[in-house]
Amino acid sequence: MAQPQLIPTPHDTALIAAWQAGDEQAAAELVGRHARPLARFLAGAGAPDADVDDLVQETFIRAFRSVDRFRGQCQFRTWLLTIGGNVLKDFGRRAARRKVIPLDDGVRDATGDPHEHAEASEAEALLAAGLQELPRLQREVFLLRAQQGLEYTEIAAALATTPGAARVHYHHAVRRLKEIVK
Amino acid sequence: MNGDAMSSDAMNGDARLEGLAKRLGHRAADRLDVEATARKVVERLREQPVRRIAWVQQTWLRIAAALVIVVGGAVVVRQNLVRGNSAHAAHLIADDLNDLSADELRDVLATFDELISSDSVAVPEGSTDLHELDAQQLRAVLRSLEG
Repeated sequence: MAQPQLIPTPHDTALIAAWQAGDEQAAAELVGRHARPLARFLAGAGAPDADVDDLVQETFIRAFRSVDRFRGQCQFRTWLLTIGGNVLKDFGRRAARRKVIPLDDGVRDATGDPHEHAEASEAEALLAAGLQELPRLQREVFLLRAQQGLEYTEIAAALATTPGAARVHYHHAVRRLKEIVK
Repeated sequence: MNGDAMSSDAMNGDARLEGLAKRLGHRAADRLDVEATARKVVERLREQPVRRIAWVQQTWLRIAAALVIVVGGAVVVRQNLVRGNSAHAAHLIADDLNDLSADELRDVLATFDELISSDSVAVPEGSTDLHELDAQQLRAVLRSLEG
């Protein structure tokens, strides 16, 4: 019996090059690879559930339009997540200008399953609230490290800082979050 | 509690926090329709060249508008400063008229020769030479110059 041939999946860099050459499918493939981790990052960083889809789209649009500036200093996903952080910050500013009153977590997402919300652990909710109390850099470093599992060198390259500084930000974040979650 | 136990607690705390962090946002991610998102992103990217040009045009328009405001503002401020200085000088002269002697008043008037020759200045009737005027008449001429 013939063994099925394994088709090697192209590396992100190859897909970026293909997109730059006009291959729309390559862009769609990159979205497929990274959309969910990006959504988790954005939601963890405070994006309202109902806006996560729009923010994911906006992040990819911004990333593809400025992909010339991506020099491979870190992984494409890490770079994408940092752009997501900027998109979320801009979203927050626009919301503040419109003076949108944030809805209660329980009623914010009309499409969500109320039972799922009820099942969310108290500690998880405390962590989400605690993350909003942190400075942006600490919050992003914590999420990149604890949620996305990235190394300090990778985080430092994406955030234009040093691994030592990233480690310090992470430990400050952990210390404060532990106090909130315990 | 000994050091090992404290260290173990801290590690457990870190692990618990990381576990919670990994679960954070999973509901939003699970609900995301990745294929639909990819399709929308590609559709929006097709509009990129047009929007890029529009963005560049908007940017240049904003820069041009800002330049016009800055240059125009500078011109207006400069004109006001020049006007302000001359008006201020006239007031200073007028305020001090009572302290000047007839000779000093003649000296001041000598600087306004050109103005005096025009019709807008009220020179007392019957007098064409400043040297024939007394101090009171000279003050009257100077005050008429004030406008």
